[in-house]
Amino acid sequence: MIIAIALVLLVLLGAPLFAVIAAGAFWNFYHADIDLQAIAIEFYGIAEMPILLAIPLFTFAGYLLSESNAPKRMVRLTSALLGWMPAGLAVVSLVACAFFTAFTGASGVTIIALGAILFPAMQQAGYPEKFNLGLVTSAGSLGLLFAPSLPLILYGVIAEVPIESLFLAGLLPGFLMLIILSTYSIWKNRAIRTPLGDFSWQEVRAAMRESMWEIPLPIVVLGGIYSGFFAISEAAAVTALYVLIIDVLILKEVSFRKLPSIIRESMILVGGIMMILGVSRASTNFMIDAGIPQQLLEWISGFVTGEFAFMVMLLVFLLILGAILDVFSAIVLVVPLILPVATQFGVHPVHLGIVFLATMQLGYITPPVGLNLFIAGYRFDRPIVDIYLSTLPFFVFLMFSVLLIAFWPALSLALL
Amino acid sequence: MSSTAAIFNKLEKAGTLAEDAVLLVILISMILLAGTQIFLRNFFDYSLFWGDEMLRLMVLWLTVAGGLAASRMDKHISIEVLDRFLPGPMQVATKVFIDLFTAAICGLFSWHSARFVMGSYEFGDTLMTDTPAWMLQIILPVGFGLMAYRHLLIAIKRPFVRDDSPAGGKP
Repeated sequence: MIIAIALVLLVLLGAPLFAVIAAGAFWNFYHADIDLQAIAIEFYGIAEMPILLAIPLFTFAGYLLSESNAPKRMVRLTSALLGWMPAGLAVVSLVACAFFTAFTGASGVTIIALGAILFPAMQQAGYPEKFNLGLVTSAGSLGLLFAPSLPLILYGVIAEVPIESLFLAGLLPGFLMLIILSTYSIWKNRAIRTPLGDFSWQEVRAAMRESMWEIPLPIVVLGGIYSGFFAISEAAAVTALYVLIIDVLILKEVSFRKLPSIIRESMILVGGIMMILGVSRASTNFMIDAGIPQQLLEWISGFVTGEFAFMVMLLVFLLILGAILDVFSAIVLVVPLILPVATQFGVHPVHLGIVFLATMQLGYITPPVGLNLFIAGYRFDRPIVDIYLSTLPFFVFLMFSVLLIAFWPALSLALL
Repeated sequence: MSSTAAIFNKLEKAGTLAEDAVLLVILISMILLAGTQIFLRNFFDYSLFWGDEMLRLMVLWLTVAGGLAASRMDKHISIEVLDRFLPGPMQVATKVFIDLFTAAICGLFSWHSARFVMGSYEFGDTLMTDTPAWMLQIILPVGFGLMAYRHLLIAIKRPFVRDDSPAGGKP
């Protein structure tokens, strides 16, 4: 017990999560008289999961894309297609951010790469600054539910749910979030009647010609995954190879000299996630053997009965979790424990995954500690309180969609 | 003293360069090998028998090398909620303590993974039919050993640098 409190204290004081989890595993194994080699052997298990190949490949492709001019081209293409709507630029921003996050996974990247283009553009178009800040900050996490987002893949790995089902399940809830935020943006800016411009086939054609190298990417990757032609890790390999060839060899937007630093940055994130995954394989197996999920279930059953009450409790828990823990560590650490409990309460594992990610996505912008709030404050050089206030309406609407997603399982499960 | 510092600086530079090189070589070979496998499988209905296993081992190597790079930049995933409420000198002391704790855990991991690799060496385990397994598993003790060294170094340097990074240790 004292050890557990000490470990939690270490986490809160900022110790690397992987080290704390490893320490816990060492302690538990030592007490259960298990040879401590077993922890290294569990870690080595990383080399026995073929699906994990997708994680470094997609992460690298996302970082590379964000270093090229692809974000700029994507905004132009989206503007050409959607700019005719009232408050067109706001809708364009939401769609572009969602799409970009789906492909880059780590949502902080979206704020930095796309925010730099969209924020000034919206200022110039006369949208109120507060609205712009809020939109760019909250849109950074939109898209977590769309294929091939990294958190979806990781959830599939940990929960042992087919990733293809998760990709299907995320579609409707993801669109729901997009539509709700778009509607709010259009209504909020009803004073700005002027759309970006009339719809013009000429502009669409020009924008498409400019993005001709990127357009095949989602078609091949998503088409390949949804049709079952590619396994997830194959789709990741195709994406990484394709982006590498296009951006470095054909368009030459990323120089060879910049490549090592992009690889380094992206692999620091991959190493960070996978180190936690590796050490928690040991601690998770230990906790399952020790019957922690059953104890958790009994404890929860003491004051919660039925799926509805369980879901309410789960949402509150995930919201707090999402505000303090990044989505990757949260999946690795928490899913193995709550999945058996949730199943007992009648929650479908795929539905749980969608609820988990949707709520964690909200956690990114939950004051006072949501990660994206700090990234935005840093990126746009605004006091953190301004960011809190400006994201608040978006937070409320996203909260509403999370409730819909949580209590309307069919939304996630209809396409399976 | 200054010559020791110079040697030390050179060592640091060489280390960073070596890390970057390892990450680059593994990731690019991984992309090329995975691409080759897909190409062969779809067009020739053939695949390199060692290919898939090699790819999975590359993931392990990338994990440890990426973790090492994260240690160098002190950018491991962490949560910092309490330390900003501590007074300045206490903050540094806490950070040093955490660095030492991380170094100790990495050291412990390195030691026990070394025992695992020794065992695999003695049994003559092989991977991809005839490659001695220890050659590929050695990344665990070596990588974690270097991480322990890194965090020890950070602990020693910590009292002499001012840390004003806004986003803390989060990537």
